[in-house]
Amino acid sequence: MTTIERNNLKVLIADDEVEFASTIVTRLNLRKFAATMANSGKEALAAIEQDPPDVLLLDLKMPDLDGLEVLASLKENHPGLAVIILTGHGSFEAGRQGMELGAFDYIMKPVDLNLLISKIEDAFQSKGKQSEKTDGKSAV
Amino acid sequence: MNALPGFLHKILPDTFKDSINFGLHRRSYSQFRLLLFLVMIAIAMGPVIMTAGLGYYNYKDLLQKEERGQLEARLTGSSHAIEALIDSLKSVVVFVARKNRYVELTTGKNLEELFARIKRQYEYFADLGVINQSGIQQTYWGPYDLEGTDYSKEEWFKEVIDKGVYISHVYTGYRHVPHFAIAVANHDPTTKKTWVLRATIDAVTLQNFVNTIKTNASDDLFLVDDAGYLQTSSENYGQNLTQLVADIKPGLQQGVSKEGENIFYAKGKIKNTPWSVILVEKRYVHHQDWVTFRSRLLIIVIACLVINLLVVYGLVTMLTNLIRKADEMQLTMLQEAEHTDKLASIGRLAAGVGHEINNPLAIINQKTGLAEDLILISPDFEHKKAIEGCLKVIDQSVERCKAITHRLLGFARRADVHDEVLQVNDVIKEVMQFLENSLMHSRIRLELQLQEDLPLITSDHLQLQQIFLNIINNAIDAIGKDGLVNIMTHLVAGEVRVVIQDNGSGIDSEILPHIFEPFFTTKETGKGTGLGLSITYGLVKKLGGDITVRSHVGQGTAFTITLPIHSEEHDNN
Repeated sequence: MTTIERNNLKVLIADDEVEFASTIVTRLNLRKFAATMANSGKEALAAIEQDPPDVLLLDLKMPDLDGLEVLASLKENHPGLAVIILTGHGSFEAGRQGMELGAFDYIMKPVDLNLLISKIEDAFQSKGKQSEKTDGKSAV
Repeated sequence: MNALPGFLHKILPDTFKDSINFGLHRRSYSQFRLLLFLVMIAIAMGPVIMTAGLGYYNYKDLLQKEERGQLEARLTGSSHAIEALIDSLKSVVVFVARKNRYVELTTGKNLEELFARIKRQYEYFADLGVINQSGIQQTYWGPYDLEGTDYSKEEWFKEVIDKGVYISHVYTGYRHVPHFAIAVANHDPTTKKTWVLRATIDAVTLQNFVNTIKTNASDDLFLVDDAGYLQTSSENYGQNLTQLVADIKPGLQQGVSKEGENIFYAKGKIKNTPWSVILVEKRYVHHQDWVTFRSRLLIIVIACLVINLLVVYGLVTMLTNLIRKADEMQLTMLQEAEHTDKLASIGRLAAGVGHEINNPLAIINQKTGLAEDLILISPDFEHKKAIEGCLKVIDQSVERCKAITHRLLGFARRADVHDEVLQVNDVIKEVMQFLENSLMHSRIRLELQLQEDLPLITSDHLQLQQIFLNIINNAIDAIGKDGLVNIMTHLVAGEVRVVIQDNGSGIDSEILPHIFEPFFTTKETGKGTGLGLSITYGLVKKLGGDITVRSHVGQGTAFTITLPIHSEEHDNN
């Protein structure tokens, strides 16, 4: 914790459980992330339109638009966005479904923050590689 | 017959009800079996017995009628024979007493000569007398001196004058020898007077004749007079001239002899005599026929009964066994359905609870983490260490809860099965790699007996791993330290069978039926969630397979997992 130096990665947490989301935001910000939160699917999409984050933490179960719908929408409009699925279902299945829809990884609630951070970093890095790849592809 | 279907209806649903209530009552089957047996025997034997009974009584009736007829014929025959005898004797007397012989017979030795002539032919004639109109015996030839005897007051004399012929009953008279008299009255044309010829005949002639016809007629035959005195000796009813004790009425009559035998009496009046003939015959002259008939009937009925008993017994046993088997199958299916249903509903509940708790748990987790973060960046304050300790324990507890909720949520997985073609042996080997360390640590020996040419199956790789992992972990827990886990695979009846056997502590037969139920655990609190086996059960079912368990306390436990080769049978729930 003492030596955490983050590159001000922009992380958006989309979860209708406000207490959960806000605490994650606070804890990530303590670790030099630029974390914000959205409390519904629509809110999340709006926030992404305004200021696309580096990594999106996406809860699957939300009242208006659920995580999978948000993912589907993002696949069209923001295909490069790195998404980590947050699931309260305790099952790999929901995560696997999310990953089939283009999510980078998934993590089950309750979340171990250190694990989450390492996944965020992985996602960010892979996003960089992926965009390089796609760039390369388009160049060819 | 009407009561039968009602009764069956009463019995049958009860049986089914009972089986639905779990517990086939052996008694209800034996009752049903007994009832069915009795009903079928009754149906089968009823007509046989009825027919036999009908035959029995008809034949008996027929024989009796025939016997009666024969007796009647004999009675008539006997009467006629005796009548003929008396007639012939009478005709002798009548011939002798022709109208105009009065003078001839009352003079000189004519009567004596006549008697001698008659006696030559009819030795039983005892004496001969001629009596005039006023009843005085004019001439007499015989062993006594009866000439001049006055018969005018005698009843018989009046009768013979009146009717022309008189036949007396048997009496002893002066001679103390039984005899009877025949008297004939005649009107003499010369003297214009009525005269009477009276002949006495030894009763032995009657007895001899009766004896002759008796031998080929019946058991007993004798004569009685109107007053009921025996005129000839009887075998069973006394000597002649004694009073007949038995009350025998004219006609045919049934009775019981002194010896208790059924007998027929027949009594018929002999025309123009004071006598009646009595025939006594033991019933059932056709006794032999009757006995033969009866024994044949009995043999037929018994043979029918035995055959029926055997056939019906066989049928009923077969039927009852079929019904019982069907019931048992139904019961097993019901129990399985109920079990699956129970697991499913408990599973849904568990998943619901797990989900509801998981979110607050996530918040507690994060809040604790935040508190720890904040303490870390805060300067020292009072109780800092204690609060840090508290937060650590909260963290640990959250971890424990997390383990539980994740398993609970496992029930909610309505995941589709991700089919791939795989080799069960390979999946088992992969799982064993995960477990190598813990096996070594617990000094547990592993034996693999995998059938090499096991066919590939279509199933879900991850879920199979989970299944084997759960069962083998269970085995390791059951052994503790130092033991043996044996894993066998083979192909049985088109299905792949995996047997995982340990020589651990075994499972008590009382708790064996519950081990697949959620939250059922024998591990100490905090060590197990009681969900491992129920999740395993659910997974196996989801893959279209089956899991069974055998266990003996102290000897170990064997789980048998059966998996279909093709995945069409997957339970999509």
